[in-house]
Amino acid sequence: MKIVTILKQVPDAEARVRASGGTLDLSGATLVIDGMDEYGVEEALRIRERGMETEIVALACGPERAAEAIRTALAMGVDRAVHVVSDVTLDAVAMARVLAGVVQDEAPELVFVGGKQADWDSSALGPALAEALGWPHADWTTELTFEDGTITVTHDIDDGTETLTLPLPAVVTTQQGLNEPRYPTLPNIMKAKRKTLEARPLADVAAAAGAPADRATELRASEIEARSRRNVVLDGDAKTAATELVRRLRDEAKVL
Amino acid sequence: MIDFELSDEQKQIQSMARAFAREHVLPHAAAWDRETRYPEEVVEAAAELGLLNVGVPEAVGGLGLGMLDEIVIAEELAYACMGFYTILMASDLGLTPIVLAGTAEQQRRFLEPLTTQARLAAFALSEPDNGSDASGLRTQARFEGDEVVLDGTKMWISNGEQASVIVVFATVDVQSGHKGTVAVVVEGGTPGLEANPIHGKLGQRASPTAELVLRGVRVPSANVLGEVGDGFKIAMRTLDRTRVPVAAGSVGVAQRALDEAISYASTRQAFGGPITRFQAIQFKLADMKIGLETARWMTYRAAWLIDRGLPHTEASAIAKCYASDVAFKAAEEALHVHGGYGYVDEFPVGKLMRDVKLNQIYEGTNEIQRVVIARGLMR
Amino acid sequence: MILIVIDHADGAPRKSAYELVSLGRALTGDDGSLTALVAGDAPGAVAQEIARFVPRVLTVSAPELAPPRAETMTRAVAHAATTLGAEAVLVGASRFGLSYSPRVAMRLGAPLLEDVTALERDGDGYVAKRLSYLARVTETVAASAPTVVVSVKPGAAAAADPAASAGEVTELEVPFEPDDVRVGVASRRAATKGRVALEDADVVVAGGRGFGSAETFDDLVVGLADALGAGVGSTRAVVDAGWRPYGEQIGQTGKTVAPRLYLALAVSGAVQHLSGMNRSKVIVAVNKDADAPIFRVADYGIVGDVLEVVPALQEAVAGLD
Repeated sequence: MKIVTILKQVPDAEARVRASGGTLDLSGATLVIDGMDEYGVEEALRIRERGMETEIVALACGPERAAEAIRTALAMGVDRAVHVVSDVTLDAVAMARVLAGVVQDEAPELVFVGGKQADWDSSALGPALAEALGWPHADWTTELTFEDGTITVTHDIDDGTETLTLPLPAVVTTQQGLNEPRYPTLPNIMKAKRKTLEARPLADVAAAAGAPADRATELRASEIEARSRRNVVLDGDAKTAATELVRRLRDEAKVL
Repeated sequence: MIDFELSDEQKQIQSMARAFAREHVLPHAAAWDRETRYPEEVVEAAAELGLLNVGVPEAVGGLGLGMLDEIVIAEELAYACMGFYTILMASDLGLTPIVLAGTAEQQRRFLEPLTTQARLAAFALSEPDNGSDASGLRTQARFEGDEVVLDGTKMWISNGEQASVIVVFATVDVQSGHKGTVAVVVEGGTPGLEANPIHGKLGQRASPTAELVLRGVRVPSANVLGEVGDGFKIAMRTLDRTRVPVAAGSVGVAQRALDEAISYASTRQAFGGPITRFQAIQFKLADMKIGLETARWMTYRAAWLIDRGLPHTEASAIAKCYASDVAFKAAEEALHVHGGYGYVDEFPVGKLMRDVKLNQIYEGTNEIQRVVIARGLMR
Repeated sequence: MILIVIDHADGAPRKSAYELVSLGRALTGDDGSLTALVAGDAPGAVAQEIARFVPRVLTVSAPELAPPRAETMTRAVAHAATTLGAEAVLVGASRFGLSYSPRVAMRLGAPLLEDVTALERDGDGYVAKRLSYLARVTETVAASAPTVVVSVKPGAAAAADPAASAGEVTELEVPFEPDDVRVGVASRRAATKGRVALEDADVVVAGGRGFGSAETFDDLVVGLADALGAGVGSTRAVVDAGWRPYGEQIGQTGKTVAPRLYLALAVSGAVQHLSGMNRSKVIVAVNKDADAPIFRVADYGIVGDVLEVVPALQEAVAGLD
């Protein structure tokens, strides 16, 4: 059994994100492995710990510094990693094309991708990658079990949940509820030093995959989302404030 | 020539320690403080991640971490709760004499068990009437056959009640000064050893502190570290190292104080806007930042000297003294920025100040650090 | 030619379908080329309804679409887009839409404008706004290609009014392949039976851990939601505590909503939660911590204990005509 887990390095949720002149400034932000991606790493580790002989390979496409996120996965217990080093911020479709080449070479049975990474707020990478590979996918997965050659997953859909069976190989996107990711332990952090982290330039990987080494869309500007709010605080005891609120929602904001 | 960057592993260690501290320590710190509670289960969780007893050498099952690795952890844990970090720090203090002066056999016997389970070590030097003057020990060590018998009282012993390994400093002759001092490893639960918890501490209440009473405590003479007469030197060499984690803990507190002050000041409104508009507040924040950065780099430098095997007595004394003074000042200023709210326990700044006061006192008061520094200058 | 894909449930189009109509009309300049695709096992009723709004409606009726799966939808939509030579394919950014639209883009070799909040023509291509970095950043993204796939966030446009005359409904044959149904649907469970679907709700009442117990949450949050005909939302902590199902979680790991009115009760306003609701038109916050970040995004705030304020709100709402 071989599992590839796809990673992204994203700003910590508490990080302050700034923008000026239409360009994002992340210089002050702490960057971490995306929380959604951690669920995939953890699930792969658990599959191995349940006794199935499993090689786990982390795969990421991002700038030089994304190696730090990859090292977190290695310290959590992933066996080795491939880092497609890219200074271009690819969109999901372009990244899926590039990564599909690497995944094809690795030929795993299962690929985990975070359900929606906290930098691009996109959930497209998993489905796009599955399509590029010609594989089925399940997204927003909260439960996963194996039965010879197939997996059964429970995932969230618009009006509830759905249980699917998928033949392998398949792409599964992960989210909260699937498991509780572990911290890398100090001994494992030290051991990770000796694991292989193979860096490959985007241009080479893209050429080998027959994919463009560039975005499919054009990012023109990034601005901080600001919405002006009324910021009215209603005073008085609970009854007075509640009555005044309902009155204002009806008469002032006209939403009731 | 000079590299101010942490290694990849150190960054990993930092982010792991930070995640652990923010999730498992910080949210509970106020309750531990209020209830004076030793958070045993969180110490165990820290041990599972390898954060406890990081100073154990690789040869006896440790990770072979350096001082820089250790202080990266220190800063993160102390940021969340200085009292909690003191539990781990005091355990490393307790095992350091064995690392520095123990034989391979002693290291295996006493240190290996500290890596397989959440066991604590303790360092027993201070006495009721004798703190910083380590040569004035009154605890007696008497050799009888192949045993040592210990009698006396040790004071302010962090982890004293919980420790499975305690290094007790004693003297074979109270008149002989340094020459009679000896360091003896006593295992927790040895007959004649009694631990009395010390109550009513101003701060660092998650960290348990005890008075240790030794009444005819017998241990094999194979538990003596080095030889008779080495005790004082072992204690001093130990503190030369372990003052650096105290400095790093102080840096963690200073960082927290600054973050709390910024967070409060940017939401607190006065005269029609946030109080960060005022230079009086801005200058306080800037001064805190100046202290924080200079203390952090001095601490890193002291750790770097240790990891290089270079002389570090002066650097560790400067780091400990300066960082703890800076941190106390930062906590006090953060409290002041909070105004009346800083004076009640709804906000964490009061605890920061109570906690970090101890950093100016333990492991050699800041006056003793200045003595150490001055002594080096006069030589 | 613009193709819009109609999201539907229980024999009726979802709210987002009418929003796609508005957007499609704006992009085609109402030149009569707007085409809607209704796919399902029995799309007839939905197609008739949509034909009141759109000049051309294509239906795909196939057992492979019962229930619809990402790969069967991809086949149907990609086939329709290719057959008709669509310049843009607009899909509602529901969970399902977000799941198959990247596959459609990949299959057509098209760029994907994902989860957009605004969309306009830009020369030969399109320019869109979308959110990123946990909805703290607005990106302007452009795409120019023979076909562009766009998933449109609910609420990005106003719902359309019916057209003057009804459109024409024709059937489209789609060559499904065996692999399209390799994913088996073992079971489906509806999470919010009898309640307004969160994404479609005009009003959302969301609660946090401050209610103390699942019972109190039911009484107060669900109670108020029922009184307002609103959807129920919750914070991650509430879901983690097992009080409410995942399907009601709002935020980065849960749903994204932009209702007309969002009531955040004992919700502190962590950035992950804000990312799921900060586009709501009017936000109300009730929290006993006056410094809670939720107040910074609130239009109306009450500093107080939800256990006192919410019953008072229920009473005040009951007094509305």
